[in-house]
Amino acid sequence: MKLPEGQLVRSRVVSDPRTVLVDALDRELTGYAVFEPQDALLLDASGRGVLTFRAGVPTVAYHTGTERGGPPALADLAAAGPYQLDLYALPPADLTRVHDQAEFRVPPGMPAERLVGDQALAARTREAAPSERSMGSASAGTRAEPVAGQPGSDNGEDSQVGAVEAFLDDEEKIEAIRDQARSEAQDRAEEWGFEDVASRDGPGDPRS
Amino acid sequence: MVEAFAVASGKGGTGKTTSTLALGMALAEEYDVTVVDADMGMANLLFHAGLAEVETTLHDVLVEGGAPVEDAVYERHGMSVVPCGTDLADFEAADPRRLRDVVATLAADTDVILLDSAATLSSRAAVLPVVLADRVVVVLEPTIPALSDGLKVQEYATSYGTETAGILFNKVRDADAIDRIAPKAERYFEGPTLATVPASESVRAARRNGRPLLAHAPDSAAAAAYRQAARSLSVRDGDSETVADRFRSAVVPDSP
Repeated sequence: MKLPEGQLVRSRVVSDPRTVLVDALDRELTGYAVFEPQDALLLDASGRGVLTFRAGVPTVAYHTGTERGGPPALADLAAAGPYQLDLYALPPADLTRVHDQAEFRVPPGMPAERLVGDQALAARTREAAPSERSMGSASAGTRAEPVAGQPGSDNGEDSQVGAVEAFLDDEEKIEAIRDQARSEAQDRAEEWGFEDVASRDGPGDPRS
Repeated sequence: MVEAFAVASGKGGTGKTTSTLALGMALAEEYDVTVVDADMGMANLLFHAGLAEVETTLHDVLVEGGAPVEDAVYERHGMSVVPCGTDLADFEAADPRRLRDVVATLAADTDVILLDSAATLSSRAAVLPVVLADRVVVVLEPTIPALSDGLKVQEYATSYGTETAGILFNKVRDADAIDRIAPKAERYFEGPTLATVPASESVRAARRNGRPLLAHAPDSAAAAAYRQAARSLSVRDGDSETVADRFRSAVVPDSP
């Protein structure tokens, strides 16, 4: 997926992708966001996630590391740690080609709902979306949103969980999250004075 | 007998307190249940259980020379409920180290202890309920951050010798395709899916009315799901003395 370089409107490190979605929606941004995880512990930290917006509404997602588009790209760009985030503005015409790639599209509310877990923000985003994007695929005709992994589904975006399923299918990423939490818990056991608990009940020696 | 469960999620807004009280009421049909608000920094169990006006809370018990724990135990909806207060000064004066003694005292006289836990893993006091419990019930929503934080809770629990009793998907809508998500999630969690609880206006109405869901809307689909979850939890027959000893000997944080 090739995008013309836009005008940088914001560049910062954020801990939660929610900030990005709120910012883009509030600015009614037409352009794109580049998410670059800062956490080298995660295996796929090498790739970058790209999410485009039309008038503040998420439109297309792509991940440069996995080369996947659409809802699975949202799972790919989900990271445990902070992101370097760059937000760019583009003239709408520069996004037309990219936005025509139906297989990369994500439903308007999906990033807020699945990537961030914020139902209220998802509802706000859906309200801001043009009506043809928030309608179900059956009525949206050729502008139908892709339904990842759900052949036959025709209930529009609410029936989509492609991003969550793609996340759960990524065993390496889940393992990385678990490894990181485990090592954090062990480090903190010392810091918090839980060493007794941590060592007394180590693996293979469950409390009974 | 007694078994202690921490109801935890790692992320806010998943409905832990609603779930704690609903599981408590459902389990109370068979067991003697005590519910403790162990989220000492952001108490809200009292609002859910209609205890907003009570005189003595867990905070009053946790201060030096404070009230005996019995004074903070309220019999409501067939359970014993121990709420926290919302006064910040009380919270600051409270010493979480005393929680182990409180739980040990309560353990002597109940079958099931449910610890409503904080929605964070960032402090010792927040993680303490997970350390004290025998098993953890992980409350999830079908979103990436909720699953990711739920996995972290499980890793912390495992690291501190606490098993996973199961996962509970909350706020599930018809469109969430939970029948595909739950089995995929189960591959990573040590316990089964105890129930999938539908998103429900009844839950919000119950909260507004200061009543647990199972009291406010016992016939709702959400209430039925919590009863199902309670049936799926086979409570273990722990020896009260052993459990009490473990709480007393648990290493506990110095400050909130």
